[in-house]
Amino acid sequence: MTMSEDRKGKKMVAAVWIICIAAAWELLAYLLKYVIKDQMADMKLPFPHDIVITLVQNWRVLLEAGAVTFSRAVIGFAFGAGVGIILAVVMSLSKTLEKIAFPYLIISQMIPVLGLAPIIFNIVRDMNVSRILIAAYITFFPVAVNMLSGLKSVEQEKKDLLYSIAAGKYSVYTKLMFPFSMSYLFTGLKIAAPMAVTASILVDMLGSKSGIGVKILYSLYSNSTNIFWASVVTSAFMGIISYYIVVFIQKMLLPWQNVIPKEAGAAV
Amino acid sequence: MKYPVNNGDDVAALNDISLDIRQGEFISLLGPSGCGKTTLLRIIADLIQPTSGSVSIHGQTPREIRIQKKYGFVFQSPVLYDWRTVRRNICMPMEIMGIPKKERTARIDRMLELVDLQDFGSKYPFELSGGMQQRVGIARALALDPEYLMMDEPFSALDEFTREKLNEDLLHIWSKTNKTIIFVTHNIPESVFLSDRVVVLSPHPGRISAIVDIDLPRPRRNTLRETPEFYEYVAKIRKSFEGV
Repeated sequence: MTMSEDRKGKKMVAAVWIICIAAAWELLAYLLKYVIKDQMADMKLPFPHDIVITLVQNWRVLLEAGAVTFSRAVIGFAFGAGVGIILAVVMSLSKTLEKIAFPYLIISQMIPVLGLAPIIFNIVRDMNVSRILIAAYITFFPVAVNMLSGLKSVEQEKKDLLYSIAAGKYSVYTKLMFPFSMSYLFTGLKIAAPMAVTASILVDMLGSKSGIGVKILYSLYSNSTNIFWASVVTSAFMGIISYYIVVFIQKMLLPWQNVIPKEAGAAV
Repeated sequence: MKYPVNNGDDVAALNDISLDIRQGEFISLLGPSGCGKTTLLRIIADLIQPTSGSVSIHGQTPREIRIQKKYGFVFQSPVLYDWRTVRRNICMPMEIMGIPKKERTARIDRMLELVDLQDFGSKYPFELSGGMQQRVGIARALALDPEYLMMDEPFSALDEFTREKLNEDLLHIWSKTNKTIIFVTHNIPESVFLSDRVVVLSPHPGRISAIVDIDLPRPRRNTLRETPEFYEYVAKIRKSFEGV
């Protein structure tokens, strides 16, 4: 099978899946509402076409709310990724530092964000800063861990080569360690991106005045089912978009990976 | 060049090795696995430090030779950087050296021509065959125009046909560059075909059991492998392993 045929096939499969799921959903929603006559049918399983209509009717509001949440998530994500990368580099430079820092990194991930978020909010007393900090907090760990595992996976001979021409530490990092670790770094970024969005939404719900999380919360209380579902879909879309933005950046920055056959590439 | 190595009781023990290497010669270190030939080469290249003993190359230590970038090293695997094209792989040592861009381009062109890969400069390593990748490795090792070329079983992962082709290519490259080549191998015909002298190493502890001068005419072509003289050398070296 050639490349383009393979791609076409994949797209076909994806399209068939979407159509099937939408159809099944419509059918189930119909059964729930008109056959079983469930009072809460709209809440449990609304008609997909209703959600689409609501999305189209309220696109402006949803987009604005989404943008507030998403932009803070992006800032936090960038910040957290930076911290994660620096931590990984520091730990790769010194075994002692790694031994000191790593257990704390693990412990930091055991604190539930749900508990941490209000604490952070109480300290900084600013919704935007809280969103950014929590998103950063969520992001730094997978980034640091993946980046570090990349830095540690560099083959000895690749290092020997630079050693044989007496390259300095700085060159070793810029010419070898960083480029080699890029695919690992992006694995971490791909894991972290949707999580940062989720974190930002979570902070919305702690009493923010704007953001998509607020929309979800208010519509839930005010029984505006369609808006609720439209907000949920928007949130899901934000998570997916964040992932694909990272994928896109990876394709831009690591052109050699586009041509490497999948099985030959490192962690994809 | 003279170096005695004395590596006590440690892992790959090398015992009292001393050897003169002449300027511009092609010398092979030949031996079975475990004889310490790779260790010896890596000690000369300062990639590992001997636990005791010393090495001197024209009065310099391996460390000095390395810092002055006087040798290029070719590894068993090509050790190319996957994220760099062929051109940029060859360019890498020159970037470290801080060679100006204009000269880099000219040198890369020369190197590509030398290893006969003119049309592959913009390819990525995985797009090349194993033999081509190793040729890029050689070009990269020569990019800084070093005095010595150290090669650690560079063709051992290749099939027989590619290996013989690359043997011939290597001699061609050598004749054009006049480097002193120290070549590690476990393949007897390969060492005979390439070398001016073959240093036969035997294991436990690693030591030199024979040094064989290969008095075959140059330039050598692969047809040389069918001559009786060639067989004689192969047989002679094989014999020196007997009773070890």
